Amino acid sequence: MSIPLVPELLRSHLSKLAETDMRIDGRSRFESRETTLETGILGNAEGSARVQMGNTIVLAGVKFQLMTPYPDRPTQGGLMCSAEVRPVAGRGWEAGPPSAESIELGRVVDRGIRESGCIDVDELCIIPGERAWQVILDLFAVSDDGNLFDAFALAGIAALRTAIVPAERFEIGEDYPLPVSKTPIMCSYHKVGGRYVLDADKREETGGDERIHITLGDDGHVHSLQKGLKGIFSAAEFDEIMEHALTRCAELRELVDNATKE
Amino acid sequence: MGGYGDVQMIDENGLRMDGRKPEDCRPIQIETGVIPVADGSARVIWGKNEVIAAVYGPMEAHPRKIQRQDRAVLDVRYNMAPFSTSDRIRPGFNRRSREISKVTAEALESVVLLELYPRSKIRVEIEIICAEAGTRCAGITAASVALAHAGIPMTDLVVSVASGKVNDVVVCDLNKEEDNYGEADLPMGILPNTGELVFLQMDGDLSQEEFKTAWDYNMEAAAKIHEEMARALKGGEA
Repeated sequence: MSIPLVPELLRSHLSKLAETDMRIDGRSRFESRETTLETGILGNAEGSARVQMGNTIVLAGVKFQLMTPYPDRPTQGGLMCSAEVRPVAGRGWEAGPPSAESIELGRVVDRGIRESGCIDVDELCIIPGERAWQVILDLFAVSDDGNLFDAFALAGIAALRTAIVPAERFEIGEDYPLPVSKTPIMCSYHKVGGRYVLDADKREETGGDERIHITLGDDGHVHSLQKGLKGIFSAAEFDEIMEHALTRCAELRELVDNATKE
Repeated sequence: MGGYGDVQMIDENGLRMDGRKPEDCRPIQIETGVIPVADGSARVIWGKNEVIAAVYGPMEAHPRKIQRQDRAVLDVRYNMAPFSTSDRIRPGFNRRSREISKVTAEALESVVLLELYPRSKIRVEIEIICAEAGTRCAGITAASVALAHAGIPMTDLVVSVASGKVNDVVVCDLNKEEDNYGEADLPMGILPNTGELVFLQMDGDLSQEEFKTAWDYNMEAAAKIHEEMARALKGGEA
């Protein structure tokens, strides 16, 4: 990202708002922006979703390829998750090789999905040692007004849950839905004006400090954590957001369940 | 151009596989304001194509060596999203997208009043979300609507459309099968108010008469597409 022109002015404004527990767009601390989720929106993807959180918009698309299983794991297919924030998504994103920020985005979302075990890579095997499916989840930012992490994770799991394995096109049997056994959900908190807030927008990201990303599974199990950017946080602060994450993740899981219902 | 003459794509009544007459365009739908953080944006849904375009700027051009003392530089990128086609596209630039970016930039530079913004840069980002054939035309069309939506002064919009030939019949606005198995493709970028051109490519095999027909089909289609572009721009935000 390019260096914002007035970070210090923005910082002090955000700190002043925090004194009276206000946020720059009028939300309360743990209030998210309006979040909508649609699935089946990309004609050429085998599974897809679109998430809008305020002015942040992302797409997720699932594609399948055939792969040769790795010699040390002959009965396993593959899962790959890649996030691309192209310059279309905001004036701060520049063309060129993927930035560290967009690589971090993809990897954190990938860990949450992978470690939850929602996709059983053994089920992706077609002929042990010879052929298996590789599932590729591509995350694409349309409009970045902050908190791409949560938007990507939400779109990603919804796209996977609606994906159809295109076996017919590859001439290996009939199409079938990709088995996805769990619904990992990410919740991100940013330190803004000295305290953590949920679902920070671009201005809060620009004028804030560190961020923490929590991915929780169906049963509340923790599947991935990431602390990003410079900053110090206490155990008490972490406890507070973890407690909130449990309720927020349940809300978002319901959103996914509703959007992926037949 | 595959040139597979044995694939029958025009029926005994002269209709195409999707029911269109030779001179018909696929349905087209345009919306502005689809990227809230951009200075201007547009989405074009054209047949099964879905293309979004964002405009950022005019903004400071940096590094300084890219600045022009007498005009703005237009920085145009055409890209296909990894999930936009049936086989996944590996992220990153390739020769095809580079060439399309270049000819698109040159088409748009012909109409944008760049001299109004010396030393600055205008970024135009074209992303193919879903591809069916004719994405470069959809991209140019979307980009010119996004530029207008951003309030960038232009002498005219650019309407881009292609005609071609399948089974020896000239047809307008090729769909995927027609593009794969057809015998020619003639994409043009047309200024709807004057009928002048800012973009022209062609590959395949057309007789002089066929070429004239394809040209005329493009001109007629451009007038119709221009109506939808104007409607989207006057209709306001999504």
